[in-house]
Amino acid sequence: MKKLLELRSEIDKCVRCGTCRSTCPTFKVIGRETSCARGRVTLVAEYMNGGVGLSETFLKHLKECTLCGACRSKCPNGVDTVAIFAAARRDVTEKQGVPFAASIIFKNLLASGGIMSLGLKLATRLQGLFFRDASAGVGLLSRFSLPLVGSGRLVPPLAPTSFLDLPEVKSAEGKADKKDGPSVAFYAGCGINYLMPEVGLKSLEAVRRAGASVSVPQGQACCGMPAYAMGDIATARSMALKNLEVFEAADADFIVTSCATCGHGLKSLMASLLADSPELKARAEKIAAKTRDISELLIKELGFKAKGRVAERRVVTYHDPCHLGRAQGLREEPRELLKMGPGVVLKEMKNPCLCCGLGGGLMYNNYELSMEIAAKKAENIKKSGAEFVATACPGCIVQLRDGLHRSGVDVKVCHVVELLSEEKP
Amino acid sequence: MKMISNSVKNELIRVVGAKNASFSREELVCYAYDATNKLSLPDAVVFPSTPEEISLVLKMANSEGFPVIPRGAGSGFSGGSVPVEGGVVVSFERMTKILEIDTENLVAVVEPGVVTWDLQQSVERLGLFYPPDPSSHRFSTIGGNIAECAGGPRAVKYGVTRDYVLGLEAVLPTGEIVTTGVRTAKGVVGYDLTKLFVGSEGTLGIVTKAVLKLLPLPEATKTMLATFPKMTEAAKAVSAIIRGKVIPSTLEIIDRVSLRCVEEYSKTGLPDVEAMLLIEVDGPKDSLERDCRTVEAICREHGGADFRVAEGKEEVKKLWEARRSISASLYRVKPNKINEDIVVPRSRIPELVEGLGKISAARGVLIASFGHAGDGNIHVNVMYDKKSAAEAAAAEAAVTDVFTLTLSLSGTISGEHGVGTAKQKYLEMELSPAAIEAMKRIKASFDPKGILNPGKIFPKAGAKTAAAGTKAPL
Ligand SMILES: Cc1cc2nc3c(=O)[nH]c(=O)nc-3n(C[C@H](O)[C@H](O)[C@H](O)COP(=O)(O)OP(=O)(O)OC[C@H]3O[C@@H](n4cnc5c(N)ncnc54)[C@H](O)[C@@H]3O)c2cc1C
Ligand code: SF4
Ligand code: SF4
Repeated sequence: MKKLLELRSEIDKCVRCGTCRSTCPTFKVIGRETSCARGRVTLVAEYMNGGVGLSETFLKHLKECTLCGACRSKCPNGVDTVAIFAAARRDVTEKQGVPFAASIIFKNLLASGGIMSLGLKLATRLQGLFFRDASAGVGLLSRFSLPLVGSGRLVPPLAPTSFLDLPEVKSAEGKADKKDGPSVAFYAGCGINYLMPEVGLKSLEAVRRAGASVSVPQGQACCGMPAYAMGDIATARSMALKNLEVFEAADADFIVTSCATCGHGLKSLMASLLADSPELKARAEKIAAKTRDISELLIKELGFKAKGRVAERRVVTYHDPCHLGRAQGLREEPRELLKMGPGVVLKEMKNPCLCCGLGGGLMYNNYELSMEIAAKKAENIKKSGAEFVATACPGCIVQLRDGLHRSGVDVKVCHVVELLSEEKP
Repeated sequence: MKMISNSVKNELIRVVGAKNASFSREELVCYAYDATNKLSLPDAVVFPSTPEEISLVLKMANSEGFPVIPRGAGSGFSGGSVPVEGGVVVSFERMTKILEIDTENLVAVVEPGVVTWDLQQSVERLGLFYPPDPSSHRFSTIGGNIAECAGGPRAVKYGVTRDYVLGLEAVLPTGEIVTTGVRTAKGVVGYDLTKLFVGSEGTLGIVTKAVLKLLPLPEATKTMLATFPKMTEAAKAVSAIIRGKVIPSTLEIIDRVSLRCVEEYSKTGLPDVEAMLLIEVDGPKDSLERDCRTVEAICREHGGADFRVAEGKEEVKKLWEARRSISASLYRVKPNKINEDIVVPRSRIPELVEGLGKISAARGVLIASFGHAGDGNIHVNVMYDKKSAAEAAAAEAAVTDVFTLTLSLSGTISGEHGVGTAKQKYLEMELSPAAIEAMKRIKASFDPKGILNPGKIFPKAGAKTAAAGTKAPL
């Protein structure tokens, strides 16, 4: 991954045209120049010139960015704003250290063979550590996360048994069977593992229905995206390395995930984190080339066709996760998959690719702002008139639930794969 | 002028509230620039919400002697909102309300910070239309549009911002709050101060409210593309279309360099040709077919190779997104550019295009041109790398040549971007000393102490300027 100093020319590419004022979700809410990409790039440039230091104001503006990439995708000059902001965070973290709470989490996620073997034990421990508000009673990890004590906050309960500890998942360990159909190794990620094992199970079911064999390698680690967003590159790198080893050993035709963020993490972050070693980078690129989002795998690779029986009509709207639509260019595939669900009628909302407000650690850095963005989203969802909002990322699911709940909007949130079967999610 | 004192800072905080006044370098640096990419730090930024607050700030500026710089989205192309002499930036980022859309009288009343696009979307939902559409309309503000008299592709048929401003509420540099104009279709009581404020680049007053004229939304629009093997042929087609009594709602010309740059960014699938026209006609559905055929016939007659009607909303949207991104995407060929928005009478576009080719060859610089050919407004971008002194000098010289050419064709050196700081040194090429003096007297009568947006439009005494007086008589 490029360091800030190596990005000087990228920063100079910004000509300050102001186009990004029209795309940035944080600008939509805050409405000041300091909260759009042009302002943030200028601040980073000024930081590099020594004009501003590690002041509270500088850090605030830097951390209020969701790293959603909306500015980058519309920038006429192709300025890689996300790389600039991530490198600036890294620079700050290297000087200042990771915020205390986050650093404990990340170290723990990495400890004793990676996040996935820690399971409930760690989660309970963390709950004890951070959730002083006992009434919350439950907690989230990593990006879903942290000082979760807040009034009226909807915190999803931890699964009684995490995904990787479920007996049917444990038995799916080992090398994927290549005898019948392509072999697929499933990457769960923190969200599915701790909060939504059912999404993981539905994903496995869909892959099998599509005629592939699926394995779930144990020992997989967090994808590193949350640590990356916090600027803790050293930790993110160790996570990438761990996953590289685990998935090389799995030796499957495809690696699939049902988390948009993890997909982006495996497809592009891993190689960039390991780029300091050409050998590791090349290996990571091989992993990246095999990685697919669940909808991408089912539609494009496996030609999945659900034999949906006529069922009760479900009006569903779809939210594009930033890490799927913009980062991986997958907009059609999840919609196509969605429409295969029994009774599903897709009704688009206004601006479906507006960030939900969770990204870039914003939920951790500035919960209020993150919820104001979610409120904009909730309004669009409400106006669509849908009964369900489907998406393809556990992070977005958590955020949308919280945001809808806060705005008093009664629309159910689920993962696309959950609508593939007839029972209600 | 001097830096602002602590007592001024405290007073500013008292007027707008602590949350709405910034003094830290982190905040100031983000209000130091506009789209010219020139930076100059202000001493403070305030975010007022009422004309009364702005009035107090201006009165203080007069008594304490600090500059006040109005600022919309900072998308200006002439340095208008850059605080070149420091001072207090007044940002309208909190004054973003659409106050009223009067569907009976076809009028909208808005605060200055409203983004052009937001207004357009709101009125279009009601079947109404606010035509002025600078390419920056997704982020520029109405206040900035008024101050620069912004225009856009639709100007060929619908005119520019000036044609839609009926009345204003403004704070004069001395602090009085005035209203000008009307909210009726006509009005001749007193001097037309409204029109004087439009295009005054934030030097005569601060607009706090605007009454804007709306039109009924045209029933339908058709978008066409025509390619040409030569710029001059495309230019001739433009003149011919206008002569042919079709008034397209947009008639844009794009040259090869611009096409290549923007294609690289947008991947729209734009053709790799010397010149392209992007043409739109709007109006009642049944007349559109006929207009399309007329336009097609004229294009073919003038060497148009390919002619196509764009299909579906998505393609039209993509084409426009590409068109609007040309200006900013040009930096892909060279790191620096001088961006001029000259205008010539439409019939003379072919001469202009030919002349531009000659200048480019003679000075050895790359010139990319595109723009609102339908109204004679061509964006001429002289590309260079400022690290090379020779290139920079050649670019400067080319710009003077371009202006001389433009003026000899009875044109003007700026159609919509304004003078600001960027074009000061060429002012005397177009305006006579007597005209400039008259303007300065107007400025002095509004702003005796010269506190509102100083350093704009008029070159400082003794500054180096281009040779005067090359404009052809009107
Ligand atoms: C990519 C791009 C494309 C563009 N395309 C076009 C185009 O097609 N046509 C066109 O005309 N322009 C175009 N522009 C230029 C620019 O967008 C316009 O001049 C626009 O009107 C500026 O609006 P703003 O809100 O950004 O104003 P700013 O840049 O902030 O300010 C412009 C001027 O207005 C003054 N001002 C702002 N608000 C007020 C107020 N309330 N009262 C008094 N003075 C005020 C400022 O002091 C300054 O002098 C383009 C710019 C970009 C970056
Ligand atoms: S759109 Fe790109 S070039 Fe324009 S201001 Fe934003 S980051 Fe800079
Ligand atoms: S990445 Fe997203 S939140 Fe951050 S500046 Fe860009 S558009 Fe705004």
